[in-house]
Amino acid sequence: MSYNGGPMTEAMYYVLLALMRPNHGYQLMQSITEVSKGRLKMGPGTLYGVLSRMQKDGLIVLSKDDGRRKIYEITEDGEHALRNEYARLKSLISDSSILEEGNDG
Amino acid sequence: MGKIVRKIRPTNYWRIGEHESWFSDMSLQGLHLHKMGTNLAHFKKGDPKRIEYRIEVTGKKLITYEQIDLYEENGWEYVTSYQWFHVFSSPAEKNAPEIHTDPAEQAFTLQRLYKKLVFNLVWVSLGVALILGMLLAMWFLDGTPVLRLVEGYVVQQSTITILYIYYVINAVKAMLAIKELKKSLNEGKAINHHAPWKKSLRKNGVLTVVFIGIILVCGLIMPFYQLKKMDTFTLPKNDENLPFVRSADIEQNPQLNRDEYYTDEFGWANRYSTNWSIFAPVQFETDEMWLEESETYSPSVSSEIYNLTFQAFAKPLLSDLMEWHTYGDERESFIERKHPDFDHLVTREDEEWKQLVASKGKVVMYIRYYGYADLDVVVENAAQKIVLLAES
Repeated sequence: MSYNGGPMTEAMYYVLLALMRPNHGYQLMQSITEVSKGRLKMGPGTLYGVLSRMQKDGLIVLSKDDGRRKIYEITEDGEHALRNEYARLKSLISDSSILEEGNDG
Repeated sequence: MGKIVRKIRPTNYWRIGEHESWFSDMSLQGLHLHKMGTNLAHFKKGDPKRIEYRIEVTGKKLITYEQIDLYEENGWEYVTSYQWFHVFSSPAEKNAPEIHTDPAEQAFTLQRLYKKLVFNLVWVSLGVALILGMLLAMWFLDGTPVLRLVEGYVVQQSTITILYIYYVINAVKAMLAIKELKKSLNEGKAINHHAPWKKSLRKNGVLTVVFIGIILVCGLIMPFYQLKKMDTFTLPKNDENLPFVRSADIEQNPQLNRDEYYTDEFGWANRYSTNWSIFAPVQFETDEMWLEESETYSPSVSSEIYNLTFQAFAKPLLSDLMEWHTYGDERESFIERKHPDFDHLVTREDEEWKQLVASKGKVVMYIRYYGYADLDVVVENAAQKIVLLAES
């Protein structure tokens, strides 16, 4: 199931976000928890699945493979997809301004 | 090293949740999973412990070091693998983070397995179709299915195909189950890691017993019993109790003697064979060839006798015997005759060749005679012999 540019799953989005800084698997899980301020705790199975799928889709690459510790890095395509998704999410938020007004009133 | 205890897996291999829950329940009894085979799980005996198990599915049969490392760093020890399934365990008190936190993402891990199961089903179905085609040919190619049934050889092979069909059904079930699991994961429903497995155990247990029964009866007991009953003897010179027509009865000619030319261990030109099947527990086949002293006249008698289990097979068997023992349109020259000693009687005469197919009650008889004697002599002799079995 390759990525077709549509809305991303939350897991995909946060993995790409965390990979703006190259990282390896275990560290990545912690930085996802950090970056989401503890809201998202991703299981190792979910992370591994997302990593191998996005690697196949060319959104991320292995930057260093010294046997057991693999360092992942975001690709240009990956960053592009992430920024697109960010823009989409932002317009989602701005479109929802009506809800904020409702709260004020 | 703890003692190894082997147990039959209680449920089908594709039921992931039930396996996870079974492994956990075994650990509570002090049996910790060590290895998993096709049907048997090996457990190591130890202290009872509350242990969680998770099964991971991969597209390839091998799981990468990287994946194992990542899980172990999160408190999940790799235990063992079978096919595309890989088992991890973690003591409950450790409270390790759940491996899959996103069911929809987990659904992707089943993608490759699902494709393999579809592929597998296609091949298994083709194989079974081939076997069924071969069996149909064995039954129907000669146009004598009742004769095949009564002889018994093909019956056992046919029953074994129930097992092949069972295999296809299992392949379909595996495919549908994984498809269903994928769908429910995509809908956000996580796998139940404590799914009850005891109901599957009972169902699988009964099925296993039934299939082992079929294999034993059809694959072993029946063929061996038939082999035991199958035998060949040299025809004794005088034995009035054998229920088949003899050369001596037809010929009444002291000039004639057995043709010793073909004699080997049994004397193939003077022998009778016995056979058994569930649909015809008593069967004889005879061949007798005589030679006049001047060596210009050599009459022969061949016959087949079937004592059937069900009289309903008698008429179709008559028809099959006519088909089996004739070539081309010869069959059309059989003439149906009335005779007080037979239920059915059909005969055919072609110069010195005389053929007779007859039945009385559950007994069916076929005779082929070559010689100068009259067809009616053969008929009268057959009438005398058929009562020996029909009234016994």
